[in-house]
Amino acid sequence: MNRTVLIVGAAIAIALLAVLFLGLGKDPTAIETPLIGKPAPQFALKAVNGSETIDIARLRGKPVVVNFWATWCVPCYQEHPVLVENAPAMPNVQFVGVVFNDSADKINAFLRQNGSSYPTVLDEQGKTAIEYGVGGVPETFFINPKGVIVAKYVGPMTPDILQANVAKAMVQ
Amino acid sequence: MTATLGRFLILASVFVSAAGAMVAFAAGKSQSLDGLKMARRFAYAFAALMAIATGVMEYALLTHDFSVGYVAQVGSRSVPTWVTIVSLWSSLEGSILFWGLVMGLYIAGATWLTRGQYVDYMPFAIGTWLSCAAFFAFLIPGPANPFVSVPNPPLDGNGPNPLLQNHYLMVIHPPFLYLGYVGMTIPFGFACAALLRGRLGHAFLKPLRASLMLPWIFLTIAIMLGGWWAYEVLGWGGYWAWDPVENASLLPWLTATAALHSAVVMERRGVLKGWTVTLVQASFLLTILGTFMTRSGVFNSVHSFTQSSIGPTILVFLAAVLLYSIVLLALRVDSLESEGRIDSPVSREGMFLVNNLIFVLLTFTVLIGTVFPLVVEAFRGKQMSVGRPYFDSMVVPVGTALLFLIGVGPALPWGRTTKQQALRSLLQPLASGLVVATIGFVLGARNPWTLVTLLFGGYAAWVTIVEMSRGGAKVMKRGRRRVGAYIVHAGAVIVLVAIAVSSTMKTQTEAQLTRGQSATIGAYTVTFLGTEERNEPNRQATIARFAVTSNGKPVTTMEPRMNQYPQMREPIGTPDVHSTITRDLYLSIMNIDPSTQSVSVMMLITPMVSWIWIAVMIMGLGGVVALVPYRKRVVNEAPLTDVAAEVA
Repeated sequence: MNRTVLIVGAAIAIALLAVLFLGLGKDPTAIETPLIGKPAPQFALKAVNGSETIDIARLRGKPVVVNFWATWCVPCYQEHPVLVENAPAMPNVQFVGVVFNDSADKINAFLRQNGSSYPTVLDEQGKTAIEYGVGGVPETFFINPKGVIVAKYVGPMTPDILQANVAKAMVQ
Repeated sequence: MTATLGRFLILASVFVSAAGAMVAFAAGKSQSLDGLKMARRFAYAFAALMAIATGVMEYALLTHDFSVGYVAQVGSRSVPTWVTIVSLWSSLEGSILFWGLVMGLYIAGATWLTRGQYVDYMPFAIGTWLSCAAFFAFLIPGPANPFVSVPNPPLDGNGPNPLLQNHYLMVIHPPFLYLGYVGMTIPFGFACAALLRGRLGHAFLKPLRASLMLPWIFLTIAIMLGGWWAYEVLGWGGYWAWDPVENASLLPWLTATAALHSAVVMERRGVLKGWTVTLVQASFLLTILGTFMTRSGVFNSVHSFTQSSIGPTILVFLAAVLLYSIVLLALRVDSLESEGRIDSPVSREGMFLVNNLIFVLLTFTVLIGTVFPLVVEAFRGKQMSVGRPYFDSMVVPVGTALLFLIGVGPALPWGRTTKQQALRSLLQPLASGLVVATIGFVLGARNPWTLVTLLFGGYAAWVTIVEMSRGGAKVMKRGRRRVGAYIVHAGAVIVLVAIAVSSTMKTQTEAQLTRGQSATIGAYTVTFLGTEERNEPNRQATIARFAVTSNGKPVTTMEPRMNQYPQMREPIGTPDVHSTITRDLYLSIMNIDPSTQSVSVMMLITPMVSWIWIAVMIMGLGGVVALVPYRKRVVNEAPLTDVAAEVA
């Protein structure tokens, strides 16, 4: 019996198996955010499709859906109609599109073609996206009337996913 | 009916493999020749059952028999016949069946080729193979059953995963990968047999090495095909992203490459027996780990589109094989006594040792980088990704060192080396390295690692060519394995240089074009000709057409496209690549608008990319040259005069 082989082999095997075992059953695409339960980071940006300035601090009192997207993002094309169609059906909910790493011309061209039903702002230096810890677009944050983030969704939303998360923002 | 037949065949294969394994181990213990004979029959029976079961599944697929669960899942009347045939490996259940077929063929082949030889080892080898076979056969009727009966069969199905239909490389990549992965079972069986027997004689090295070389060739090509596919399909212009599934294919390749090298030292000097056996076992274990990585859904990857619930089952198997390997190794490694010793570190065998340490270091680097996010999540509850920077900063220096060794190793003689010998063999090729690095510098290479790679590449190329030409024309007869190894080295040198150049010397630009507008990149002018909608049987495509000119002369027309498959919400972008021997022009659509005839396109010029694919084929070819045994052809070797006399 070679004890060194046994000990080294067992150490590697146990460590590896333990890690793999702990990983079972987790969804690697579900990215957690430390922002859940925290006040939403502030931003006040001018809308590209209108003259108003969207100041998130002034939106307290109703649930807010902040959707980060970009015209260069393919899944955003797929998600856009879901948001455009559902926003008017939820008059108590304020939708805000935050576009980062993009230009106002491209955004306006996109919105002209694909429609828009809520304000969209341009996050020019990506500062807001960084404060929200956005890893990739699309990513959507759901903020309750008190201004606290209650949920986050990564990837293109379906109507069901959107409604379920908005419901969370309504309750709290 | 078909489903029932399939289920019966699979259940029979579970029984045959399990019973065969027991018969084989019993025969090994009692060293019974009759037992061995019977075990061999079980091995053939397993292969036959798997082949028939796969045939039944292919028949069901081709006849669109939607009463078979797997056909209902991946079949479709609207896809071309070739897609129907290859949908066998488009989804988990079918690919496990295909896995079983490949395993059956390997086991039957290895059993047939070793008939009448190594009788004291073979029962243990066959027993180990059939045990592994029993596990995979068990997966088929259990957690991954393709032969489920569908009570109310649909009239038509969705068709296989669109990624499989999107590029022909996805058709050949999986079979090569399976041939590489599953093939590692055979050397694992031989290694376990040596340990169970408590002996690893000189004669037994031949099947061990050959059985390692064959899957190594397939795995080498499979890894390249995977990278090529990513390059041609994913549209970001790269071929390797250190994705967990890519790493899963690289890990067993690293240990198998190390084992092929340590086997040479074992053969020449009679040392490193236990080490080589460990590497062979590790290669097999890493294929199982790789299977777990791809199939469990634990790792986030662009490639793992066959996630399923078989993760826990594979983990149990991995644990069992790990336990078996470690206990066997601990019990018996000391009985594989060394016959010789290594005289001096500055020698060929010394360099082999360094090579092995580097490959093992690389294996751990990649393994730790791959599983580290899981460790962090388990202990700190946070998610993280290791990403490119870690891998690049760790692997680039080590890869460069490996390139240096490809040059230095073969330049040094076996045994002891005098100082003058060492200096002479080391300094001469340096000139060639300096020439290559200078050429690179003149052509614009400025990245220090690229220049070092060119220096070592030129160095290694010189040594490889000199060593290959040693012995002249007779070498293909007597030193065939050696020549094969040098062909592999030549390929590896080109691959490493091409990776360094292509990853550090690319030019990238993005342009927003409307019809008739042009953009320039490097020497090319790319003019957008407009979009075209095309209806194909299994998909709808939006194609952007571009005319490419260089210095006013037309070069080619390129058609990057977006393919929309009915069962997918998002379209799949497919770039178009214009490859030349020196560089590739790569166009990838980021956004396309047929109504306004405008497109935003990413353009990329990457030098030397084609060399990666070509050079990996050269590596595979080298492996084949080394593998094919030289047969003494007595007639051909008879002097011509004798033949002439006979004819007269």
